[in-house]
Amino acid sequence: MSSEVLLTVLIVLPFLSSLVAGSLPANARNAEVWLAGAVALIGLAITMSFYPDVTGGDVVRYEIPWLPSAGLNLVIRMDGFAWIFSMLITGIGFLVVLYARYYMSPKDPVPRFFAFFLAFMGAMLGVVTSGNIIQLVVFWELTSVTSFLLIGYWYHNANARDGARMALTVTAIGGLALLVAMLLVGHVIGSYDLDAVLASGDTLREHTLYTTILVLMLLGAFTKSAQFPFQFWLPRAMAAPTPVSAYLHSATMVKAGVFLLVRFWPVMAGTEEWFWIVSSAGLITLVMGAYAAIFQQDLKGLLAYSTISHLGLITTLLGMGTPLAAVAAIFHIVNHATFKASLFMAAGIIDHESGTRDLRRLSGLFKYMPFTGTLAIIASAAMAGVPLLNGFISKEMFFTETAIRNPNMFANLALPIGAIIAGIFSVAYALRFVCGVFFGPPPTDLEKVPHEPPSLMRIPIEVLVLICLIVGIIPGIAIGPYLATAVVAVLGQDTPHYSLSIWHGFNLPLLMSIGALVGGVILYIMLRPYLALGVEGPPLMRRLVGQRIFERILVTISWKWAKSLERWAGTRRLQPQLFLLVLICVVTAWFALRPGFGPVKLQLSGWDPGFVILWLVGIFCAIAAAHQAKYHRLASLVLMSGAGLVTCMTFVWFSAPDLAVTQLLVEIVTTVLILLGLRWLPKRFQKGDADHIALPTKLRRYRDIVLGVFAGGGVAALSYAIMTRTAVPDGISRFFLERAYTEGGGTNVINVMLVDFRGFDTFGEIAVLGIVAITVFALLRRFRPAAESVEKPEQQRIQNAYDNLRPNRQSGDTVNEYLMIPSVIMQWMFPVIIVLSAYIFLRGHDLPGGGFAAGITMSIGFILQYMAGGTRWVEDRLRILPVKWIGTGLLIALATGLGAWAFGYPFLTMAFQYAELPIIGKVPMAAALFFDLGVFVLVVGATVLILIALAHQSVRSPKAARSSVLPTHAVEPPPPPTLETSTVEAPGGAS
Amino acid sequence: MTPELLSSLSLLAPELIIAIGALVLLMVGVYSGERANTTVTGLAVAVLLAAGAWMIVFGQDGAAFGGAFVTDGFSRFMKVLTLIGSVVTMIMSVGFAKAERFDKFEYPVLIMLATLGMMLMVSANDMLSLYLSLELQSLALYVVAAINRDSVRSTEAGLKYFVLGALSSGMLLYGISLIYGFTGNTSFEAIAAALSADGNQLGLTFGLVFVLAGLAFKISAVPFHMWTPDVYEGAPTPVTAFFAAAPKMAAMALLVRVTMGAFEPIASDWQQIIVFVAIASMLLGAFAAIGQKNIKRLMAYSSISHMGYALVGLAANSENGVRGVAIYMLIYLVMTLGTFAFILSMRRKDGPVEQISELAGLSSTNPLMATILTILMFSLAGIPPLAGFFAKWYVFLAAMESGLYALAVIGVLASVVGAYYYLRIIKIMWFDEPVGGFVPMAGELRLVLGVSGAFVLLYVLIAGPVGQVAGAAAKSFF
Repeated sequence: MSSEVLLTVLIVLPFLSSLVAGSLPANARNAEVWLAGAVALIGLAITMSFYPDVTGGDVVRYEIPWLPSAGLNLVIRMDGFAWIFSMLITGIGFLVVLYARYYMSPKDPVPRFFAFFLAFMGAMLGVVTSGNIIQLVVFWELTSVTSFLLIGYWYHNANARDGARMALTVTAIGGLALLVAMLLVGHVIGSYDLDAVLASGDTLREHTLYTTILVLMLLGAFTKSAQFPFQFWLPRAMAAPTPVSAYLHSATMVKAGVFLLVRFWPVMAGTEEWFWIVSSAGLITLVMGAYAAIFQQDLKGLLAYSTISHLGLITTLLGMGTPLAAVAAIFHIVNHATFKASLFMAAGIIDHESGTRDLRRLSGLFKYMPFTGTLAIIASAAMAGVPLLNGFISKEMFFTETAIRNPNMFANLALPIGAIIAGIFSVAYALRFVCGVFFGPPPTDLEKVPHEPPSLMRIPIEVLVLICLIVGIIPGIAIGPYLATAVVAVLGQDTPHYSLSIWHGFNLPLLMSIGALVGGVILYIMLRPYLALGVEGPPLMRRLVGQRIFERILVTISWKWAKSLERWAGTRRLQPQLFLLVLICVVTAWFALRPGFGPVKLQLSGWDPGFVILWLVGIFCAIAAAHQAKYHRLASLVLMSGAGLVTCMTFVWFSAPDLAVTQLLVEIVTTVLILLGLRWLPKRFQKGDADHIALPTKLRRYRDIVLGVFAGGGVAALSYAIMTRTAVPDGISRFFLERAYTEGGGTNVINVMLVDFRGFDTFGEIAVLGIVAITVFALLRRFRPAAESVEKPEQQRIQNAYDNLRPNRQSGDTVNEYLMIPSVIMQWMFPVIIVLSAYIFLRGHDLPGGGFAAGITMSIGFILQYMAGGTRWVEDRLRILPVKWIGTGLLIALATGLGAWAFGYPFLTMAFQYAELPIIGKVPMAAALFFDLGVFVLVVGATVLILIALAHQSVRSPKAARSSVLPTHAVEPPPPPTLETSTVEAPGGAS
Repeated sequence: MTPELLSSLSLLAPELIIAIGALVLLMVGVYSGERANTTVTGLAVAVLLAAGAWMIVFGQDGAAFGGAFVTDGFSRFMKVLTLIGSVVTMIMSVGFAKAERFDKFEYPVLIMLATLGMMLMVSANDMLSLYLSLELQSLALYVVAAINRDSVRSTEAGLKYFVLGALSSGMLLYGISLIYGFTGNTSFEAIAAALSADGNQLGLTFGLVFVLAGLAFKISAVPFHMWTPDVYEGAPTPVTAFFAAAPKMAAMALLVRVTMGAFEPIASDWQQIIVFVAIASMLLGAFAAIGQKNIKRLMAYSSISHMGYALVGLAANSENGVRGVAIYMLIYLVMTLGTFAFILSMRRKDGPVEQISELAGLSSTNPLMATILTILMFSLAGIPPLAGFFAKWYVFLAAMESGLYALAVIGVLASVVGAYYYLRIIKIMWFDEPVGGFVPMAGELRLVLGVSGAFVLLYVLIAGPVGQVAGAAAKSFF
C-alpha cells in the first residue's frame, strides 16, 4: 500500500472505530477489546512499516487540499520524532487496552470507555503527525476534549467531575493560547506548513512578535504538560480509571506539551527568553513535583507528582537550549513513558486486588503478590535512576548537562543543585512507593485478601519492565538507532555526538548519581517517622494549593465579576437604558460640535431679544411639560401646546408661513384629540410626598435633568444653527425655487413640492393617514377604560349634584346649558370655517395653504361643533361618511396620477394652467389641484373618523376592563359605535 | 414602463415575490377563518422558498433604481442566510403555535414583511434605501416582539424594544443627514468618491458614529445591546429564535456594505469604532452570560458575544475579513437554529420550561438530544474541529493579517470565558441528577436539530467549498 493510504488509515481508523465502539452493546466487553486492540496493533504495524522511510532525517508527507484559500491543507507528516511518538502511542495504547480488559468492571459502561479511548488515540496520533500547525492545534484541542471525557468517565463521582472540568479548563485555555501563537507564527512566516515553519527559525527568532509567540506557545505547552504554575490539574485528574492515567498521564497526553517544545525547539530555542522561562519553569516543577510526591498518601497521587517532576526534568533539559540536552530530553520522554506507564498499571493492580490506594493502609503486599511486586520494584528503580535501567541513562545525561560549566550564574549553580535535590527526592519517593506498599508488616484493615491478578493483566507490565531492563543494559542496540532517528529529525545537521553507553568512567555526573542515590536513601530513612504519622500533603506547601488558587480566581472572574458586570451593564429597566443611549449621543455630539473641532459653527451672537423671549417661553413650556408629565397630564398637555405654539411662531419668524399655518392647524387638532383621549387614561400616579424622596432618587433625577438639558439644549442649538445659517448656494432648495413655477405652475414652492415634485411621497403619506385613522377606529371599537376612569368626571358630578339639589332642575341640565353663548357662536361660525377652508384650499398652489391645511381647517370646524353641541348633538347631524371620504380622497389622488398616463406621461405628471371663474377670478387650474382635492378629502375623512371614534366613547356606557392579562377574545366586545347610527347620508355640502 | 424600470424590477424579483406574497397572504389570513395560521404559515414558507429559488436560479449582478439597490455575490449569500433563518424559524413555530395557542396568522405575514425589509437591507446601496429597508424590518420586528400581547413580559419587551429602537433609528437618520450634508450624496459609491476626494472631516466622523450606532443596535452589539436579553426572554420562543437568526444576518450584511462600500476611504476611522464594539461585545457577552439561569437570556448574551466575534472579521477591513464575516454568520445561523430547535423542545407535560437547571441529567433521559446539544455547545464555544472553531478561526486569521493582534488575543480570551458557560450546560446535562424527561420532540424540530448537529460536526469536510463560496461573495467588495 502506498504511504498516503497508510498515513490516512493511521489517523482515521481510530476515529472510525471509536464510532463503532460507541455503538456496540454495553455487554460486548470482549468485542470492544478485540476492536481497540486491533486498532492499536494496526497502528503499531503501520508505524513500524514507516521506519525505513524516516531514518536519517527523511520525512514522509501526504498533503490533502482542504482550505487552500485560507492557506490550509491537511498534511500528515511522519518524521523520526513523530515516528517514535507514534510507536509510544500505539504500543502503549495496545498494552493499556489489554490491561483495561481486566481492570474495568463488567458493570462499567465499557463501550463509552473504548469509544473515548480510541478517539483519544486518534487525536494524539493526529497531534504528532500534523504537518500543519493549525491542524496540530485542532488535534491538540481534541485531546483535551477526549481526555475530559475519559477523566469524567465515572461521572457519578464528584471528584471525577471536578477533576475532568479542571483538566479541560486548564488545557483548553492553553490550547486557545496555542492557537493564537500558531496564527502569529503563520502570520510571521506566511505559511502554516510545519516544514516551512521549521525552515524559518531565524525569521521567527528575530521578529518583534517573538516574545508574544513564545509566551503563548509556552502557555499551551505548560498547561498540557502540567508545568509550574499549571501543575495542579494533573493530580486532580487521577480520579480517572487507572488505564486512563497510565495512558494519558504518563505516556501520551501530558507528553504533548513537551512534544510541542521539542517540535519547535529548532526554531524557537536558543534565545535568552527561551532559556529563562523554560528552564526556570522546568526546574521549579522538577523540584517541587518531586518534593510533593514524597508526601502523598494516595498511590496514584505519588505517581502524578512524580510525573510532574519528570516532565519538569524534560522541560529543564529543553530550556537549556543545547543540542545534547535536547537529545537527553527526547530520550527521557521515551524512558519515562515506559517505566511510568508500568508503575501506574501496577498501582492499578494493587488498587484492584486490595481495594485501596491509600499508602497508610497498604503494607507488606510482597508476600501476596510477588510477581507484581518484583515488576513494580524494577520500574521504581528505573524511576529513581538506578544503574542498569533506562531511567539511569537519561538521568545521567541530565546530570551531565547540568554540570557543564557555563558563564551564566543561574545555569552554573541553580541547575546542578536543583538536579541533585530533585534526584534525592525522586529516590526517596521511589523508596516510599516500594517500601510502603510491598514491605513491612502485613496489611490489617483491607477489605479483601490481596492476591496476584490474572496473568494476562500482568503482561503489559512485564513487557514494559522488560523494555526498561533491555534499554538500561544494552542501550546502544536496543534504542540507539531509533533514538538517532528521532534526534536527527529534530536537530538535523546540528545533531551532536552522544554516547548511550552505561559506563563513562568516574566523572562528575556519576558522582551526582551516586550522591542522589545515597542521599535519597538517607532522606527516606530520616523521613520515615514523619511519614508514619500519615499527614495528608507535603509540609510547607500544604497550604499553598495551586488548585485552590485557581478555583478562587475562576470563581472571582466568572462569578463575582460576571455578576457585578451584569448588574452594572445588564439592567432590565428601560430608564437606565435610555439614559445610557442619550448619554452616548450627547457625548458624541459634544465631541463633534466642540468649538474649533468641527466645521459646524454655532452663530451665538446677534440675537433678537424678542426671539430670545419667545424661545425662553418655549423652553419653559417644554421643561414644565416634562416635569408635569407624570403627575398632571392635563397641565402637561397644555404646556406642550404652548411649546408647539412657540414652534409655529418660530416658523413665522424665519419666514416659513405655510409651515407655520400647517403646524398651527395640526397642533390644534392633535391637542384636541389628545384631550379627548386623556379622559380615558387612568389616574395612576399621584404626586408623592416631596419630603420623603430618598437621596439616591433625588440625585438620579438631578442627573437626568442635567442630561436632558444638555440633550435638549444641544438639539435646540443645532436647529438654530441650521435655521440661521447662510443659504448654501448650490443646495437643493435652489432647484425647487427655480423650477416651482416653470415646471409646477405654482409659486408656493412647498405646495408644489407636495403635490407635484414629490407627489408620489404625498400619495403614500395620505394612504398612511387613512390607514392610521381606520386603525384608531378599529382599536377603539373594543376600547375598555381602566376601572378608575369609568366614573363621570368630577366637574360633571358637581354639576349634576347641583341640579339634584334644586327641585326645578333635572340632573344634566347644567351640563347641557354649559357654554351656551360660545356654542351658539361656534355653530354660527361653521359655514364661515367651511368657506375659509375652501379659500385656503384654492390659494394653496400659489400662497400658503393647500389641501392638507384646508382639510385640517375643515376638521377644526367639526371639532368646534363637538365642543359646542356635544357628542349626541353632532352625531345626530353629522352628514359625513368618513370611511367613504377616505376612500374617495385616495381614489381622486390616484386618478389624477393615472390621468397622466392617458397623455403618455409618467405617473403623477401634473399639467397646469389658469382658469377664469366667475366672481372668484383667475384661479390656477393645475392638475395638481385635483390631487390636492384628494388630499383634502382624505384628511377631512381621517380626522373626522378619529374624532368620532374618540368622542363616541363618552356616550357609550363604559365597562371597565376586567384584567389586563385576560385574553381579549374571552371578553365580549362592547357595542361598537357603528357609523350607520351617526351618519345618515353624505351630501356634498362640505366642500 | 421604461426599460430601466423594467430591468430594475427584474433585479428586484425575489423581493417583489415576497412583497406581493405578504399582501396576498394577509388577505388570505383575514378570510380563511379558524385554520388561518397553519395555512398562512405554509404558504409563507412556500413564498419565501420561491423567492430564494428565484434568486439562486435567475439571480444576476446589477444595480437597480439608480444604484440604490444592488445585487452581487455577497448580497445573494447573505440573502440566502436570511431566508434560511426566516423559513426555518417559521417552520419551527408551527408546533409551538398549536401547543401554546400562538395561532395568529399575522405572525407569518409579519415575518415575511420583516424578511422583505432584510432582503432590501442586504442589497441597500444608498442611505435612503438603507433607512427605508431598515425601518420596514424594524417596524415588523417591534410588532413581532410584542405579538403575545396578553403576556405582560412580551408586551414589556416589545415596548422597550420599540422605544430603544426608535431612538436608535433616530440616531441613524441623524447620522445619515450629517453624512449627506458633508458629502452631498446618499449613494454609497458617491459618498465613497466624495470621501476619497476630500478626505475626512470631523463632522463626518460624527455622522459615521451615529450611523454605526444605529446599525450596532440592530445587530445588538455593545453598547447598544440592552434590549437583547429582555426581548429574547420576553418574546415567545419562536420569535426569539427568529430574532436570533434572520435579522442578525441582514443587519450584519448592511453593516459590511456600509463600511466596505460607503466608508472605505475612511477605514481607519470606522475600524477603531468596530474594534471597540467588537471587544466590548465579546467581553460583555461572555461575562454576563455566566450568571444566567434562563436559557433564552443566556442565548441573548451568547448572540451578543458572537456578533462581537463576527465584527472582528469586519474590523480587519480586508477581503479575508469579509469572507470571515460571511462564514461566521453562516455557522452562527446554523448553530443558533439548532440550539433554538432544542429550546423549543424543552417542554414537559405541563408546558414549556426555560431554566437551564431543567436540563439536568438530560443525557440519561434523552441521550440523543443531549449529545446533539453537547456538540452544538462545543461548537458555540469554538472547540475544534467543530464548525464554531472554523468561524472563529477565519475572523481571527483576518484580524491577524491586518495586524490587529490585540483584538485577536482579547477575542481568544473572551472565548475562553465563553467556553465556561457553554461547558456548564454540558456539565448540567451529563453530570447532574436527572429531573425528568421532556415530552417527545416534534418532527420538524428533530429535523432542524439533527441537520444542525450534522452540519456542525461535518463542517470539516465541507469547509473548503463553503470557504470558496464565501470568498467569492467577499470579492464583491474588492
